[in-house]
Amino acid sequence: MAASALCWALRAARQVLPSQTRSYYVDWRMLRDVKRRKLAYEYADERLRINAIRKNTILPKELQEVADREIAALPRDSCHVRIRNRCVLTSRPRGVKRRWRLSRIVFRHFADHAQMSGIQRAMW
Amino acid sequence: MWGGFRGCGRVLLLAGAARHCGRPHSRTQRLFSTSSALSTTKDESTASTDSAATAATKEGAEETPKQKLLKIIGNMKVEVTTKRKFQQLKEQEIKKQAANKQEGLDGGSSTEGDVQRSKPLNPELVQAASAVASSFPHSREQAESELLAQLRRHEETTDKQRRGETINIRNVISEMAVKRQSPAQRGVSISRRISLEMDEDGQRIKPGRPSSCSFDSGRSLKAGKRLNIFTKASPEMENALKTVSSPTIWDLEFAKEIAAVTEQPPRNGFEEMIQWTKEGILWEFPIDNEAGMDDGAEFHEHIFLEKHLQDFPKQGPIRHFMELVICGLSKNPYLSVKQKIEHIDWFRNYFEEKKEYLQEKNKQASQTFGT
Repeated sequence: MAASALCWALRAARQVLPSQTRSYYVDWRMLRDVKRRKLAYEYADERLRINAIRKNTILPKELQEVADREIAALPRDSCHVRIRNRCVLTSRPRGVKRRWRLSRIVFRHFADHAQMSGIQRAMW
Repeated sequence: MWGGFRGCGRVLLLAGAARHCGRPHSRTQRLFSTSSALSTTKDESTASTDSAATAATKEGAEETPKQKLLKIIGNMKVEVTTKRKFQQLKEQEIKKQAANKQEGLDGGSSTEGDVQRSKPLNPELVQAASAVASSFPHSREQAESELLAQLRRHEETTDKQRRGETINIRNVISEMAVKRQSPAQRGVSISRRISLEMDEDGQRIKPGRPSSCSFDSGRSLKAGKRLNIFTKASPEMENALKTVSSPTIWDLEFAKEIAAVTEQPPRNGFEEMIQWTKEGILWEFPIDNEAGMDDGAEFHEHIFLEKHLQDFPKQGPIRHFMELVICGLSKNPYLSVKQKIEHIDWFRNYFEEKKEYLQEKNKQASQTFGT
């Protein structure tokens, strides 16, 4: 009875604490980018509303100052500007085409092997 | 040897006991020789089965026309086939054994039976019954006993009627009470008679019309057991289904296993596209612009959001601010009504929390300005 209660407590604690990630992203930078995206999704609404109070000429300044302090207190990774659109396959931060989420090198590789739908070598 | 009734003009007066009459078989004859009123010494054939013999008293009587008739009936015999002969043999064997046991009892029962009955049956009827029974190919005693029982029952009923013990209809009717109708019920019945309903053709429906339930050869549509083929699922069934549901993880896993095993690879491109549509990879055609977004709310719930501003102050910058927020929300097609209401609620909570802080700040500001 006591043992089962202990087990349940441990399991709950493990879920609450920041867990060790075991997935296989291309590199750690990609993993950090994934974390940022998750947090940004969580705090998106709150950030929008607090910013609506801040970027205002109607409300009193005191309120806006309070809002400034509040938004600064939020985790840093929760803002969307920290997200970088990396290549999905190589985690390359630059030269990534948004439509395919692939870096230019991977894109070229697949297009030449005719594995990109509707892509053809340009010739005119 | 079994067929044909060679005994002539002899009718046995039986008392309903299963008894073998004089048979050509020497063994059985010896057994039955002691039984009363059974000996038939005048048997012509060697094998005449249960032939009826007259009682000793009537032996010397003249042959009345009735007796002649009985003789004729007695002579009428059903032709017996070989199969029936063997059946009769079997039955005779069985009855023999049974009768041997009952022999001692039977000797006394015949006289007792006569005494028990208050009114003995008409001897003529009995004679006729025995003659008819003798015409049966097998189980003659049974037939005779049954016929005599029937006669007895008939006599009993006639006696009862004479005495007046049967059901008198007058008594029954007198006991029946008159049913009283309440005025409400009477009104209903009257209104039913004058019906204002119209049939499809515009003709009035008269009450008591047999059109709805057709009468066909003495049977009505609504009588009889219901088959319950087309009735909706009864609420009992629904309750049972609800209690059964809430599947466990094991049930889900089992269902997934079955689905994985039974599914076949798509045979052609159409089936592949169907599979994709089910999974959600392919959109449904014709394309629905509101696929996955429709929450069933009307347009006025999206646009007219002022009713949610009731808890806010009616004047001041906050009200001004919130009105702008509502204006923006009403133009937003991407949020559902729920999300918009949540938005407004969040602002309300936020301003509630900051109220005390703002009041303190104002006091401080006034104090600093004052001093």
